[in-house]
Amino acid sequence: MGILIVDDSADARLLIEFFLKKAGYGDIVLAKSAYKAIEYLDTDGAEEIDLILMDIMMPDMDGIEACRRIRKNTRLQDIPVIMVTAKAEEIDLKSAFDAGAADYVTKPIKKIEFLTRIRSVLKLKHETDKRKARECELLELTQKLDRANQRLEYLSYMDELTDIANRRYFKEHFDQEWKRAVRHSRHLSLIMIDIDLFKNYNDTYGHKEGDACLRTVATALKHTLKRSGDFVARYGGEEFIAVLPDTDITGATVMADLMRSGVSSLEIEHDGNPAVGKVTISLGVASTVPGSDKITSETLVIEADRAMYMAKEGGRNRVEVQRQKANA
Amino acid sequence: MTEDKNGKIIIHADIDLEDLIPGFLKNRRKDIMEIESLLAADDYETIQRLGHSMKGAGGGYGFDEITDIGMHIERAAKENNAAEIRIQMGRLSSYLDCVEVVYD
Repeated sequence: MGILIVDDSADARLLIEFFLKKAGYGDIVLAKSAYKAIEYLDTDGAEEIDLILMDIMMPDMDGIEACRRIRKNTRLQDIPVIMVTAKAEEIDLKSAFDAGAADYVTKPIKKIEFLTRIRSVLKLKHETDKRKARECELLELTQKLDRANQRLEYLSYMDELTDIANRRYFKEHFDQEWKRAVRHSRHLSLIMIDIDLFKNYNDTYGHKEGDACLRTVATALKHTLKRSGDFVARYGGEEFIAVLPDTDITGATVMADLMRSGVSSLEIEHDGNPAVGKVTISLGVASTVPGSDKITSETLVIEADRAMYMAKEGGRNRVEVQRQKANA
Repeated sequence: MTEDKNGKIIIHADIDLEDLIPGFLKNRRKDIMEIESLLAADDYETIQRLGHSMKGAGGGYGFDEITDIGMHIERAAKENNAAEIRIQMGRLSSYLDCVEVVYD
């Protein structure tokens, strides 16, 4: 543990150093003035020194003022200061403790008392340092934990295969959007999407290719949506669902059509779909102003699904819109 | 411990202080000369500080007498009492002449 001795008298410095070294304290630094001491502390000293032994009566800056400055310095605040001085009046003691001194030893020095005080102040410093280190560790761990939790939450909402949102995400966020739309009386639209004859695709090309196809289609769907509130999620095996807040039936239909043509233009070969020879999707659109009629959020999903079914029945690779319109 | 033996004042000191004590006593002789110059210049403030340092260091090295002399010099300097200061310097000079250190 590093000890800094500040005293303008060389005899005093040497004597204190002598006592300390004899007691086994090896790292001693001597300063002949408060200015020199503070200068040293401001550079390497902050890390090296665990205790300052300060004389009070010194020309230029005295020990009380020096102590005050050290306690105010955030880098040096944790280094205890023990006054070692021939000044022994009550007033001196009070000034010293007011300035932030940890303890007070009078000169001439009595060896045993001196060493005992030093030992106890250093012990306290050591304990404080350990506690601070533990606090730092804890803070780091807490931050790591927060990051891990965030990541976990993120992962719990992601569909691993397609790297888009999963059904769980859809449930929670559709519900949120529904409530928001009720509050502000805004339009809310859904698009239900299904890859045409996907089972045939798997049978023809294998499951690995099937997975790749799902990924490609999901990405294409995701990239169609431009607005920050819109999202698409994987709803089932080859089923997707898109949520478009603040979008009416017309707007949603436009988006649906963009999705349809987007996937079609991918030109993914699909011999299991002889009509067109490539991968296509069927889409169903449903829209409402939530709260304006008896339609619930679940009903809207069913409407979209029904519309998609109509699209399949109607020949696939097309968009169908819900038959019943609410508040057009 | 102080013993009067053939006019000598015997001080027992820690063997490890053997390196420091001669230097300390030499500095006290220097103090006498310096205080003389300071008196000529009427610089009681510096004399006070020297007395204060002497007071603080003396006993630590084993010389309680020097601590006492330092205390008197400090007090006298506060009162600008040149006569008293000179008396104390005489006391210090005699002491330094008579003192003998035994290391054990």
